[in-house]
Amino acid sequence: MTSLAREVASVARLDLAEVLRSRWMVFCGAVYALLAGAFVLVGLRESSLLGFSGMGRVLLSFCHALVLLLPLLALTATGQVVNRAREDGTLELLFSLPVRRGAFFIAVSAVRYAALVVPLVVLMLGMAVLGRLAFGQEVPWGFLLRAVAVSAALLLAFVGLGIAVSTLVRSQARAMIWLLTLWALGVALIDFGLVGLMLQWRLDPRTVFLLAALNPVQAARMALLSGVTPDLAVLGPVGFFLAHRLGGAGLFAVGTLWPVAVGLGAWAHALRRFQRSDLV
Amino acid sequence: MRIELRAVRKRFGAAEVLKGIDLSVPAGRRVALIGPNGSGKSTLLRSLLGLVECEGEVRLDGRSPFDDRREVARRLAYVPQVAPQLGASVEDVVSLVARTRELAPAAIVRLAERLDLDVEALRGRPFRALSGGMKQKLLIALALAADASLLVMDEPTASLDARARERFFALCDELAPGRTLVLCSHRLEELRHLAGHVVSLEEGRVTYDGPAGDFLGGRGLAVVEVATTSLEAAGWLQARGFRTGLRGWWVRTLSQAEKRELVPELARELGPRMSDLLVRDLETVEVPHGGN
Repeated sequence: MTSLAREVASVARLDLAEVLRSRWMVFCGAVYALLAGAFVLVGLRESSLLGFSGMGRVLLSFCHALVLLLPLLALTATGQVVNRAREDGTLELLFSLPVRRGAFFIAVSAVRYAALVVPLVVLMLGMAVLGRLAFGQEVPWGFLLRAVAVSAALLLAFVGLGIAVSTLVRSQARAMIWLLTLWALGVALIDFGLVGLMLQWRLDPRTVFLLAALNPVQAARMALLSGVTPDLAVLGPVGFFLAHRLGGAGLFAVGTLWPVAVGLGAWAHALRRFQRSDLV
Repeated sequence: MRIELRAVRKRFGAAEVLKGIDLSVPAGRRVALIGPNGSGKSTLLRSLLGLVECEGEVRLDGRSPFDDRREVARRLAYVPQVAPQLGASVEDVVSLVARTRELAPAAIVRLAERLDLDVEALRGRPFRALSGGMKQKLLIALALAADASLLVMDEPTASLDARARERFFALCDELAPGRTLVLCSHRLEELRHLAGHVVSLEEGRVTYDGPAGDFLGGRGLAVVEVATTSLEAAGWLQARGFRTGLRGWWVRTLSQAEKRELVPELARELGPRMSDLLVRDLETVEVPHGGN
């Protein structure tokens, strides 16, 4: 094991203990499970939607809700990590040890990301298996894998953004305002919302398309829904336009790679600043 | 480890906290940093730890602790005044320090035992759930186990009881020769036991840099308390800086020199109008109160 890997592993163990002890993973799992439970109850009673029925439809509704919920969970899990560690003296103690700044950054990011992704993947697979065993439903493996990939990419985007906020904004109160603003923008700048704005204030349609396409929440939403149907009614105008230009595979690629690029870009920028800034 | 500071300045926004510090500490010296709140002590300590970047030159054995922080940190150990609120268990914290410093955890456990802290019994308990004294003992054990060339300590005994303080001083006496110690404290007991040299800071500048004995002589503080029911005596006490306490008691904190002058004067002027008199020395040292 290299010295960097050893440092990352040591700090990750500490942060994992912190996450487990703060019951974050349990909270995440509980939120996911609550959501899934609600959709199972509602979804199994209805006959069909968008060509899905039973478990497939449950998964679709579940994922659609997750696209709105995941950014909020990721931002709250990461948005205070660095500035809280700075304020409570953890950074002071940690960096009096021979630990690289990058090792701390990689470790806390990886742990927080894992704390969000692992319960989600377990739950999605659990729902599929439950549907198969308990209700005799066909498991939509293709859709399930697509949903896992899109959700993981979306979480990466907002973990990167959350870590960036916690690094760049020193005050915890101001960081909270930034986090809520980021989440509100992500949720609001989907094309249905933007079309409303366009009609209200006569915005240039190209601006609306650009804003929607740059939003990782919209990208993830399009990637998820394009696996179901390329209809305008479901995808919205931006998704419809892109689906017919790029095709389903292209839309899926954009919907996973763009959030990953946003997350890694924000994370790398925050790391660069963290490497050269005062630690207290 | 040798410490060299040349024209060190540090700003936080508009506030200049360090205003051109020049300091030279040879290897093996034990130095106490003293100064009022806001004098720049903590920032100076943090610059030695490489946690903040300063203008000018900070060198530990010729290396910059900010640019070569990881290399310097191998030879440096730190005891913070306030323990971080870590949710991780005691075992995780010990394991982190042992791994990063390539130490055997048993060495830390043994040192903690000498401070009356049973790490084995507490291994599963969250670090933040320990009492203030327990946290401080563990932080001291973690730092001393490193056998570092430079030991930086910020009010290390603030949360320790008398017995634990004695044990801590005994451990410090066992430090290998040549180990440099930088201590931030106002406690006379700590200063007497640990520091041979004092650096006093005031408003970001060094105002004294010399032997501890010369600095501490006469800088101990005392409290004089007088009980009286006489209105005339009360007026006399008020005019000499006493403030009212509980049930007819008047209180004043003063230097040793002032105490030596005041006590005979009290006996002479108030005499039988005093119903009681208490004089006690404090364990803190008098610091200039320039503030910033």
